[in-house]
Amino acid sequence: MIQLTSIEKVYRTDTVETLALNNISLHIDKGEFLSIMGPSGCGKSTLLNIMGLLDEPTTGQLSIGHQEIKQFNDRTISRFRNQKIGFIFQSYHLINDLPVLDNVELPLLYRNVSGKERRRLAAEALEKVGLSNRMQHYPSQLSGGQKQRVAIARAIVGQPEIILADEPTGNLDSTMGNEIMEILEQLNRADQTTIVMVTHDENMARRTHRLVRLFDGSLVSSNTFVN
Amino acid sequence: MLQHIFKLIWKKKRSNFLMMLEIFVSFLILFAVWSLSVYTYRNYATPAGLSTERVWTVFLNYNTDQDSVLRINNELVTRHVQSIREIKSFSFAANNLPFSFSSSNRELEFKGKKVLSEIMLVGEDYPAVLGMSLSAGQWFSAADTVGGRRPVVITRHLARDLLGAEEPIGQQISLDGDEKRTVVGVVDYFRHKSSFQEDDNCFFEPAGSADYNLLLQVGTGANAEFEAQLAHSLQQLNPDWTIEIQHLDQMKDTQNQLVLIPILILFVVCGFLVFNVGLGLFGVLFQNISRRKGEIGIRRAVGATKMQVMGYFIGETLVIASFGIGLGFFFAIQIPLLHVLDVEASIYVWGILLAVLSIYLITIGCAFYPSRQAAAIYPATALHEE
Repeated sequence: MIQLTSIEKVYRTDTVETLALNNISLHIDKGEFLSIMGPSGCGKSTLLNIMGLLDEPTTGQLSIGHQEIKQFNDRTISRFRNQKIGFIFQSYHLINDLPVLDNVELPLLYRNVSGKERRRLAAEALEKVGLSNRMQHYPSQLSGGQKQRVAIARAIVGQPEIILADEPTGNLDSTMGNEIMEILEQLNRADQTTIVMVTHDENMARRTHRLVRLFDGSLVSSNTFVN
Repeated sequence: MLQHIFKLIWKKKRSNFLMMLEIFVSFLILFAVWSLSVYTYRNYATPAGLSTERVWTVFLNYNTDQDSVLRINNELVTRHVQSIREIKSFSFAANNLPFSFSSSNRELEFKGKKVLSEIMLVGEDYPAVLGMSLSAGQWFSAADTVGGRRPVVITRHLARDLLGAEEPIGQQISLDGDEKRTVVGVVDYFRHKSSFQEDDNCFFEPAGSADYNLLLQVGTGANAEFEAQLAHSLQQLNPDWTIEIQHLDQMKDTQNQLVLIPILILFVVCGFLVFNVGLGLFGVLFQNISRRKGEIGIRRAVGATKMQVMGYFIGETLVIASFGIGLGFFFAIQIPLLHVLDVEASIYVWGILLAVLSIYLITIGCAFYPSRQAAAIYPATALHEE
């Protein structure tokens, strides 16, 4: 599903050159639930951003679903993100001035979907995450766990093949974290959605199919779990 | 998408209200400026009905008010001017010569309708001197005054204003209540105050002995030396006369400047105000976009292209601008609806259209760069900064 080959990412300023990712090669199968762990600053989020086409590698190749991404222009990449990938962030990234339903609708705004259909799909996604009673609430009226569930609904509303989650439970207590993890597991099981999750929590990582560890931008280990 | 934009604008109505207010004020300023511009341009584009080329004016003062002396002096001047080869035609006229600072208004009446009009007391050759042509009837001559008949030539504007749809030639009109005048000719235009004067009421009637200013149509060879000789030769007719020669095209330029300078000052002041509004708008948008980097990041992450992000921010600004324009339109349209000023309604319509266009152009101009900057932000960077 996702194939990274010799990926390198270098951040350059006038005086400093930082190697964020060093020769990363990784294959993720369709329907796999993969977790990435490593100390802060080791390049986990950078790797996730590259997989999500939010950032470009300095060198190396990235293929998603047998399509090499390198030659894509902005329009194609955007469409690809819109149709194939859903994002979940640690800090939710909800638009505070929009009600929950409108936040969830957001990816569909950039597709040819009618207003009525958008509302229906968004309502369905919210129902999946157990928030159908909060559609007209604003993000400021929700708890952290509820916000993250809205973010998950937004990520799944377009029925993407891949979900990239950057520390989705990082800002939540263990109960809330478990709830979010259950939703992700359910999505992975029921819809065969490929999930890549960055986490600091070993217990959460153990609930996924495979754990890869990064250290100083390099892939140092890969463990497969039987769940 | 529009509904989505409306929701966001409504949620941020307090901060957007100020921007809308700025646009509302700018709209009213631009409406006033454009209406004035359209009005001025229309007047400028209207035919003048007279030519100032090689026309000189001689402001004569005989320094006497005895009618018999005035008549003798006029005869003397006539013979003298007729003897000069460089003078092609000439006409006596009252003080309110074209493009002079004098004006003379009288009230005319026809079938109970009264209108005010400029009165020009002029000679038979007045149209020849000023290159005027009549669209109906003929210019008056000495023969027209036989039997106490008082012929007048009127402008088309006066004919419409006073006579309505009636055929003007031969109509009897009253001057100041009782004196009857007979219309013998019509000129389409006679804009004699400046190039920017609105087409207005004016009528011409034969000059009397007290109307002894001169308008001269001179030949191509008439130069400054000839001007000095002319002044000198006229002065020789009577050393007590006061003589001043001016060129009609220069007089017109002076009048034009008197109209244009205040307009230009107004334009500069308004331009400065609108520039400041534009600058303010630019600053607000820039600040707005840097505050909303996270939103930009998430829009990009869920599939918005650079163009869509740019279009979104420009669209949002245009919607806010539309509210300001809508409010401004409500006030602006009252002017033609309530006939606040005696100006053709189409001028205000043009003023509104041009103000709307200008506001949208200013808004797009101010929103373009910040929106492009927003679109250029890398999604990962935008999300990271949030």
